Amino acid sequence: MSGHRAPELHGGEATAGHGPAHAGAGPRTYLVVAMFLLAITVMEVWIFYVPALARVLVPILLILSTLKFALVAMFYMHLKFDHAWFSYVFIGPLIIAIGLAVALLWLFGHLGTTGVPPAGAG
Amino acid sequence: MANGADGAGDHAASVAVAAHAAAAEDTGGLASWLTTVDHKRIGILYGATALAFFLIAGAEALLIRLQLARPDGQIIGAQRYNELFTMHGTSMVFLALMPLSAAFFNYLIPLMIGARDVAFPRLNAFSYWVFLLGGLFLNASWLVGTAPDAGWFGYAPLTTKPFSVGPHSDFWLLGLLFLGTSSILASLNFLVTILNLRAPGMTFLRLPLFVWTTLVTNVLILLAFPPITVALIYLMFDRFFGTPFYLPAGGGSPLLWQHLFWIFGHPEVYILILPAMGIVSEVLPTFSRKSLFGYPSMVYATALIGFLGFGVWAHHMFAVGMGPIADAAFGLTSMLIAIPTGIKIFNWLSTMWGGSLRFQAPFCFAAAFVGMFTIGGLSGIMHASPPVDLQQTDSYFVVAHFHYVLFGGTVLALFAGIYYWFPKMTGRLLDDRLGQLHFWLMLIGFNLTFFPMHFLGLMGMPRRIYTYAPGLGWDLWNLVCTVGAGLQGVSLLVFLANVAKSLRTGAPAGPDPWDGRTLEWALPSPPPVYNFATLPTVLRRDALWQAKHPDARGPGLADLRALVTPAGPIHMPQPSGWPLLTALAMIVLVAGALLHLGVVIVGGLLTLLAALAFATELVPAAADHGARAVGDHADPHIGATGLDHRKLGIWVFIGSECLFFGTLISTYMVYRGRSLQGPYPHDILNVPLITVSTFVLLMSSFTMVLGVAAIQARDVRAARRWLLATAALGTVFLAGQVYEFNHFVHEGLGLTTNLFAATFYVMVGFHGAHVTVGVIWLSALWYLLTRGRLGARDEALVDMAGLYWHFVDVVWIAIFTLVYLIQ
Repeated sequence: MSGHRAPELHGGEATAGHGPAHAGAGPRTYLVVAMFLLAITVMEVWIFYVPALARVLVPILLILSTLKFALVAMFYMHLKFDHAWFSYVFIGPLIIAIGLAVALLWLFGHLGTTGVPPAGAG
Repeated sequence: MANGADGAGDHAASVAVAAHAAAAEDTGGLASWLTTVDHKRIGILYGATALAFFLIAGAEALLIRLQLARPDGQIIGAQRYNELFTMHGTSMVFLALMPLSAAFFNYLIPLMIGARDVAFPRLNAFSYWVFLLGGLFLNASWLVGTAPDAGWFGYAPLTTKPFSVGPHSDFWLLGLLFLGTSSILASLNFLVTILNLRAPGMTFLRLPLFVWTTLVTNVLILLAFPPITVALIYLMFDRFFGTPFYLPAGGGSPLLWQHLFWIFGHPEVYILILPAMGIVSEVLPTFSRKSLFGYPSMVYATALIGFLGFGVWAHHMFAVGMGPIADAAFGLTSMLIAIPTGIKIFNWLSTMWGGSLRFQAPFCFAAAFVGMFTIGGLSGIMHASPPVDLQQTDSYFVVAHFHYVLFGGTVLALFAGIYYWFPKMTGRLLDDRLGQLHFWLMLIGFNLTFFPMHFLGLMGMPRRIYTYAPGLGWDLWNLVCTVGAGLQGVSLLVFLANVAKSLRTGAPAGPDPWDGRTLEWALPSPPPVYNFATLPTVLRRDALWQAKHPDARGPGLADLRALVTPAGPIHMPQPSGWPLLTALAMIVLVAGALLHLGVVIVGGLLTLLAALAFATELVPAAADHGARAVGDHADPHIGATGLDHRKLGIWVFIGSECLFFGTLISTYMVYRGRSLQGPYPHDILNVPLITVSTFVLLMSSFTMVLGVAAIQARDVRAARRWLLATAALGTVFLAGQVYEFNHFVHEGLGLTTNLFAATFYVMVGFHGAHVTVGVIWLSALWYLLTRGRLGARDEALVDMAGLYWHFVDVVWIAIFTLVYLIQ
């Protein structure tokens, strides 16, 4: 690296700090996102009550929940428009948190064997 | 002081002028120390306090060794012995070594990166006061005769109420929870400081290696402390309210504690050793008069150690029966860490190889670090092998291993740092003859103490026994260990004498007594309160060295003299009493948990009031309505990167919170289906009701983002309206949660009914507490905007509140799905 700051520090399509606007997002976008959030929530609850979908309930709900999570993070928290560092300091820990959760579930016998019966894990 | 080029000579004259100006500054009395927000003073406070705790913890170790010097020792009894080894470990980790590293972070990081202070000076002071009061709180347990007695690891169920009667473990868990606040806030501060306050030209690959290790250490603190915080909260609920998180009789698992503790505990080892590696990486090149060998590989090795450090925790648990697949996986990841560590060791050796070595005290300690740490690292690789570990676990071999890492490694490096930077901090050199005496006594004493422990461990001597019978073959080596410990004690007395003597009559250090490489050596000793008269422009790595000894590739700094030549008035943060007062209010709250509910309530109210005063202290009586261009460097909150410290800070906090809520949700899922009695989730969870609450919270995120958009459009009135709407929707959500909890209790689901209830109430309750904080935050912003004390220009404050609010919302999105819909 050379120069005053790495070039990526001034990258991005909008303000890096606390700027006057987040390019590409405005009240209309926020309203559309809100409608999506409500629609997905309705869909989640509907799926919850449909017995025929019981076998695929978990993966569908996880996908829909992830979608809602991403919509809020990208548009309301402005990660889609803001400086990349903000995404790094959020998504990095998020990945570690998910990794630890998966590891704990595995170690306690919820996600396949660790070599002993699950009862041995606790 | 080494002579450099002509430019360096001019610079030395300028330094003398600036040093005179610094000496003329008011050094102040007690009040100035109680209200200081200067990173250098806070660094000195950290250092002095941590050294005091180091001596206390060292005295505890001496008592342990005296007891074990001979078989059938009668000096102390079993209970006192348990208290001593618990407090020795706890104090060394949390009150001595971590804070000593923090002392160096505080004093040096702004100087090394070319900044005038840390990003959040008042928060920095608050972190120190919390540390001091937390340390005093923990040690107050000695005064009332109930010191913690279950080991620094606090294994459940030993720490739960049935097995730990009295407040021993309460002191421990409350003290650690309180100290954790200090660690997390301090690490947030240093992360933002390093990312955002670097001087022009100080790119990542020009950072001194100590800054790199500080950066990675603070990332580890931010991510490793939330899991232990959650583990301690569960323990608190078990002990104070009777929940069964760690009690098998109630369906809980003591292994949950072990996992959560070591998810924190192993990164903690790197939290302790990485700063030491950074110190050594500064000292060795200076005293070898060479650049650090393999700088980029040192940076990548540091980052890799930090990353891998999160995937190895269960190697501390090979003996609990996790299963061969889990053992193999964690054994493999543990062995992998040897690779970046080996890279560092070879690079240090290569740095010294062929250098013009100066065998002064800082170098001696740093060079010894390399040897002693390597011994500790080698025995560590043995423990990464599950079958080998099973032979050594809980024996004195393990005690030998971690003392070679944390004493032979961390402590020796910290002393290298003290001898190296003491002249910068005080303006006087430590006596080198006494320093050498200190070094040799400590090195010999250390090896006499801990090397025989390898033999004792292999001969079968278990850890944590307060005495042993004669004739087991352990007598001689235990006596040798005790003699070595005494020698270490003597070495510390020599060190203290050296400090006392040198502070009064030590040789003047001058600005650059070692011919240093990093920016702090360009300044007077001690540096003026503002550090740099003009912020440096860095052109190369090892900027100062290159400025003093320019080669064909040009100088290291744009203008060396300008660093100490004030060009105009410099505005520094004003002192503040609120950091200390807020910490005092919090310790009332914490201590109240041991005294009376009324004290808890009073402490809680005082903490709330103090926190509000702290938060609004810098809010002006009337808003400044002028517009400010984005990236305007006159704004003290904007770093040279163009990022707002506060916004970066709230994002870093949110990153840490991911681990906090991730641990809470993980525990709920791990314990799913383990309740021994009902009501069960499908009996009681009310999906229609909670769907309405979820709608309300999602809509509050919508109103919040409209509030942020409004203030960015300079429409304060609309912003106020949306903030109020968001707070109102948050209140409705909280009302729904209160109704739900009340309904559950009436249905027979109390906090202690079963494991589902405990995990549910704690997880959802903490989410509700976050929503409550958000409502208070938004209400305060609304009030300040309404009163005209904040204006359109303060959009960053609304933006920060918005980010926090949305994060609370996304946490609820996860809880809604994982708890309510996937039952």
